[in-house]
Amino acid sequence: MDVFALQALNAIVGNAPASAALEWALGGGTLRFQIDCVFAIGGAHARATLMGRAMPSFTTCQARAGDELTVEQLTDGRFLYIAFGGGIDVPQILGSRSTYLPGHFGGYNGRMIARNDTLSLGPAPISPPSEGFTCPPELLPRYDSAAVRITRGPHADLFDDAAWHTLTETEFAVSTASDRTGYKLKGKAVSDAAENLPSDASCQGAIQIPGDGTPIVLMADAPTVGGYPKIAVVAEADLPILAQRSPGHTVRFQLVTIEQSQRALKRRASDLYTIGATGAASA
Amino acid sequence: MPLGDSAITIVLGAERSTELLNRVHATAAALGAERLAEVQDIVPAYLGVAVFYDSLQASFSDVAAKLLAICDRRTALIADSDKIREHEISVTYDGADLAQVSASTGLSVDEVIARHSSRLYSVDLLGFVPGFAYLSELDSALQLPRRSQPRPRVPAGSVAIAGAQTAVYSLDTPGGWHIIGRTDRVMFDPSRDPPALLSAGDMVRFVPAP
Repeated sequence: MDVFALQALNAIVGNAPASAALEWALGGGTLRFQIDCVFAIGGAHARATLMGRAMPSFTTCQARAGDELTVEQLTDGRFLYIAFGGGIDVPQILGSRSTYLPGHFGGYNGRMIARNDTLSLGPAPISPPSEGFTCPPELLPRYDSAAVRITRGPHADLFDDAAWHTLTETEFAVSTASDRTGYKLKGKAVSDAAENLPSDASCQGAIQIPGDGTPIVLMADAPTVGGYPKIAVVAEADLPILAQRSPGHTVRFQLVTIEQSQRALKRRASDLYTIGATGAASA
Repeated sequence: MPLGDSAITIVLGAERSTELLNRVHATAAALGAERLAEVQDIVPAYLGVAVFYDSLQASFSDVAAKLLAICDRRTALIADSDKIREHEISVTYDGADLAQVSASTGLSVDEVIARHSSRLYSVDLLGFVPGFAYLSELDSALQLPRRSQPRPRVPAGSVAIAGAQTAVYSLDTPGGWHIIGRTDRVMFDPSRDPPALLSAGDMVRFVPAP
């Protein structure tokens, strides 16, 4: 869900960007290391400890065989990521190591990790960064930012000024009816385009407006096609910010041009590169 | 026009039709044949094609210009009819909604089965979830609006109808179509190449299981 956190954590532990890591939502739990390894946590804020020591976010840490990492609670945000040097060794399916729960495939046997599972790691990175390296905070997304940037979607013209005003000038709260497929938003109804559209291509971040005017933002498990009008699309650079917003928390949408949005995404990519390069230099 | 930072939608027409769908499939094939380095995925739908690309490698305006040039160059796009594959899918017609479909349409259950299995359907497009193929055109007597209450879980392999379309659920998913039967055929298997049994443009016939 929060691709930036995943990639930044992979970068600081010396992994390739698409290495498999753990995505952790909701409750607490404990991991026991059976080997020595470098790891880092980040994304959502969490109270986490390694053998009683508090774990800072986006900071590399060396675990010894027998150490226990305990995540007590996520305190802010929805998804905590834990990346391990070498990455979790799961097969690549259709070009991905991620888990697709609806299809029961990918990741660790196509399912969520359960109690007493043992995860294997790939070969340790050649030059792991030194222990205690912390991502410079100015290179991370502003997770507390009130505004999330959007660009005009394929059906932008079907919506009148009033609808656009509602979308960009009022606040929406993330509803509890939100999951990996989409986040439903609560707020003033965005007046319906009242068009019955044939299904067309969809993407992550697409803001759909169904008949009742309640926006739904498609997330990581988005369908490839859909029939609801897509008024706008969330800028990829800001998707991690929205992904981390918990039910009840609010968001505002700020309309930008496709050029601005693509520039923001390039900026994120260069920040990720800088994080990886500084991490490696600290080794 | 842009579909977010990493995709472009090429709209080829305003009204759904068989001719337009053929053009969509031909355009998708033509764009795929170019094997552009920045292009990652091509998704055909009813009115056009979406092209997903690596926006760190190329900007929207660059990719849009390239795609338009290809579309212009290939003015006489015709679907390659040699490649059309035909599938027979064996169906046990015992779906949970079969009796209700019979009641709503005023047709006997046998007549519903006969009408559903007597046609050759074309795969309009794949979407919703992996391997889910939208097939048309359903016999007009069988066309019903979707169920008012979608089911939270429809098992994979369920054969269902809604509107002018029929489909086989490829995964266990929520669904609002009327379930009239089931098949053992695996519509999507990530270890298969290609993973989806059906491709856009294929033809499908349903055969009642003995």
